[in-house]
Amino acid sequence: MKKLSILVFCFLLAAALAPAMVASPAAFVEAQEDTLTVLCTPQEDWCIAMTQAFEEETGIETSYVRMSSGESLARIRATQDDPEFSVWWGGPADAFIAAYEEGLIEPYEPALASVLAPNAVGVDHAWHGVYVGALGFCSNIDFLEELGIEAPTSWQDLLAPELKGNVAMAHPATSGTAFTAFWTVVTLKADELEAAEAGTGYDENGAPTEAAIDNAFEYFGELHQNILQYTRSGSAPGTMAANGEIAVAIIFSHDCVKLQVEGFEGVVMTTFPEEGTGYEIGGMGLIKGAPEPEAAKMWIEWALTPEAQAVAATVNSLQLPTNPETPVSDLSVKLEEVNLVNYNFIAAGTNRTAVVERFDAEIAPQPVE
Amino acid sequence: MNHLIRGRPIAEFRRIIQDPVLFIGLILVVLFVSITILSPIYAMVEESLTEEGQELFDRYLSSPVYRNIIRNTLEMGLIVAATGTALGFLLAYIQVKVAMPFKRLMHITYLIPIISPPFAVASAVLLLLGRNGIISKGWLGVRYDIYGLDGLTLVLTLSYFTVAYMNLKGMMQALDPALDEAATNLGASKFRIFRTVTIPMLIPGIAGSFLLLFVEAIADLGNPLVMGGNYEVLSTRIYVSIVGLYNTTAAAVLSVILLVPSLLVFMVQRYWISRTSVVSVTGKPTGTPQQITHPLVRWPLFAVGICASLFILLVYGTIFAGAFTKILNVNNEFTLDHFDFVINGYGSEAMKDTTQLAAIATPIAGLLGMIIAFLVVRKKFMGRAALDFATMLGIAVPGTIIGIGYLLVFNTPNEITLPLLGTIEVIPKLTGGRAIFGGAGAIILVFIVRSTPAALRAGVAALSQIDPSIEEASISLGADNIGTFRRITLPLIRPAFFSGLVYAFARSMTTISAIIFLTTSRTKIMTHQILNEVENGRYGNAFAYCVILIGIVLTAIVILSVAVGTTTGAEKSIEGGA
Repeated sequence: MKKLSILVFCFLLAAALAPAMVASPAAFVEAQEDTLTVLCTPQEDWCIAMTQAFEEETGIETSYVRMSSGESLARIRATQDDPEFSVWWGGPADAFIAAYEEGLIEPYEPALASVLAPNAVGVDHAWHGVYVGALGFCSNIDFLEELGIEAPTSWQDLLAPELKGNVAMAHPATSGTAFTAFWTVVTLKADELEAAEAGTGYDENGAPTEAAIDNAFEYFGELHQNILQYTRSGSAPGTMAANGEIAVAIIFSHDCVKLQVEGFEGVVMTTFPEEGTGYEIGGMGLIKGAPEPEAAKMWIEWALTPEAQAVAATVNSLQLPTNPETPVSDLSVKLEEVNLVNYNFIAAGTNRTAVVERFDAEIAPQPVE
Repeated sequence: MNHLIRGRPIAEFRRIIQDPVLFIGLILVVLFVSITILSPIYAMVEESLTEEGQELFDRYLSSPVYRNIIRNTLEMGLIVAATGTALGFLLAYIQVKVAMPFKRLMHITYLIPIISPPFAVASAVLLLLGRNGIISKGWLGVRYDIYGLDGLTLVLTLSYFTVAYMNLKGMMQALDPALDEAATNLGASKFRIFRTVTIPMLIPGIAGSFLLLFVEAIADLGNPLVMGGNYEVLSTRIYVSIVGLYNTTAAAVLSVILLVPSLLVFMVQRYWISRTSVVSVTGKPTGTPQQITHPLVRWPLFAVGICASLFILLVYGTIFAGAFTKILNVNNEFTLDHFDFVINGYGSEAMKDTTQLAAIATPIAGLLGMIIAFLVVRKKFMGRAALDFATMLGIAVPGTIIGIGYLLVFNTPNEITLPLLGTIEVIPKLTGGRAIFGGAGAIILVFIVRSTPAALRAGVAALSQIDPSIEEASISLGADNIGTFRRITLPLIRPAFFSGLVYAFARSMTTISAIIFLTTSRTKIMTHQILNEVENGRYGNAFAYCVILIGIVLTAIVILSVAVGTTTGAEKSIEGGA
């Protein structure tokens, strides 16, 4: 009798478990298509607007975490065995190139890749550009007047003794903006070397040489004496300039325009270095081992559509869209109006980790005299 | 005291084993502390001792740049610990011993700083006293450079003096006024009483506050991030090496460097306390404390108290005003947009998550603190000092390291292989968005780990003032350990328990450095959101978050004071009997 009851119990248990075991993988797959987790690098309000728009469009429950570029790369690297994000959207492409070289990105070619400019498509379709924007200087007009100087129009102007403690930029280790600034100076230094003697500025692959990088470090070592502090987020120095804490911020020009639109009109102004400025192509990529690959692919397809790219203007993010069909705001900084350096994204991505480590070791911790 | 059991730890240990409830409690506490505090720290220390780590040690300790950073960190810690403890002591003394108007109101303002995230104070101080501050630039016309040590001292003192204030006020209230009376009868002046009676009785509290403030200051991340300027400290270096470079080895090495001074101060404090007898709650009836009424003492102290209150009100008034204006100091138009964003918009998720997790962590941390305090003060078993020490590590270790330690230890499931049962998953993956509860488990544990030490210290300070003979009497009358703890000890240390709970909740709601690496897309934490808002210059949203956060904590304090009570039963019976 006792044996029988155990037998019956076992049978019932098996019967109860069997459908659950069959059902669970199916439920899992369905759950994958229900949700999407985005690693979002641009400003928070844009992340919110994008995820909401995607959720409305597809019904997929979309959540995000906002992290700066360098932070995102560090987080993806740290969690590569069991990634928590499926798609990484925004931030300079250099970080995506570095991530792809480390095997953290899964190539995926969306249908709209063909409408993009050639420089907005990554090698092997590892990443695709979603926006473009130029680097600039964002200055507090009153503060400059108080110091008795004009708004800076060259990288050399930033070294003016009047600006001591009155300049801010982000830390290149956390921020893609700051890294773009660094690599812009590397490019300018390479041009200088190349002009003096052919072959010293660029190597045979068109990448800036070690000497150019060393010269850039020398420049940022000097600039360090004028820097009040290195922020985590690339756009943060702009806010400091707007609040009159500093005179000049080295940020993306569209972030400065955003500040003007959002209440700081007449407080801050944008200028560009005449000898040349860098620019970013905001990237987007599928994370390797993504927990929600199908939803992530849908995001990548969607994010290149004019409708998705038009979301930016609703939150005053005035980067230039990469899909030519997206309407461009009058307020956006047009690339043809500024003098752009010949920014080598691949070399930038390859050197990224070494450069930011060296920056963090040699420049950031130095005391200011 | 304790002459019956001193020097016989093994015998006492046997007694604990004989009491199964106590024994199991002890085992559970030790297990919990080992897993949640020791293993993450161990993982980090292990990381720092690798070959690469040792090279970094050599490089950092021989580099003048890093020596300067270490000096900055210590300098800032000592200054903040001294100013914060002094301010806390002064304000507590005024509250307890000096007769003056508006006492209650002043008391409430002193409690505000503990319940707001660091970014709030730093941002408000920048808006008021910064280079373009409303006061400094607007009224006085000076572009005051607040970035660096001076600003950090101000902001950190303001953020943390409340810890010292609450500790010392609780102890001063517990002092037996009969001692003062006896000294007066013997002809001592008020100042002599202050110097030879009050101060010595409060030394454990002063030392404890100094320790807490020192470690809080050197481990603080939020304030140096916002207003450190070029005054580099270790915590921000650690932060950059993790978020920017994910160089856990460098972070571990820097953390070990940061850990040394914290632990040294901690040792000094322990040694000092163990030499000081502080029994003052004897179970005998006590009278009401005598208040100082001499005008030359009273009014200057009143001025100090009211100035502190007004400054705090100014800072929090700025936060409040900023939450309701479009852009404070630029466009002062009234708006409710910021609150709409936090309550109905994307911020609501963080608000709910944070409150829930803090509410789960609070009672656990409070009770754990009291239990460990009881075990450490009253039970003389082997390793009790180690237990106290291990628990205190939860706060002595910089929050960033706890956070990274958790990532190292709990990012994969922890398994053990047993001979018969095979491999068992003991602790599932706790961190990251794909872990159980969306990573909330790790965050709750960090909340507990970070707030238990304060509850423990409050409990220890209170217990060491209570003569063990009261508990011994209970045991002699036939009560067991648990009964005695619940019905005698806990009511006597109720004010400490209350402050432990309040601190745990407030701490959990406002912590940033330990959870900054643990927030996930599914578990959002308010302080992290505030950092994002502050960094992107949306001070309005940040301040609205702060106002709501303060509101939540205040509500919780009211609920806790009703549920737990802020006085001991003894005081009530005396009042009733008088």
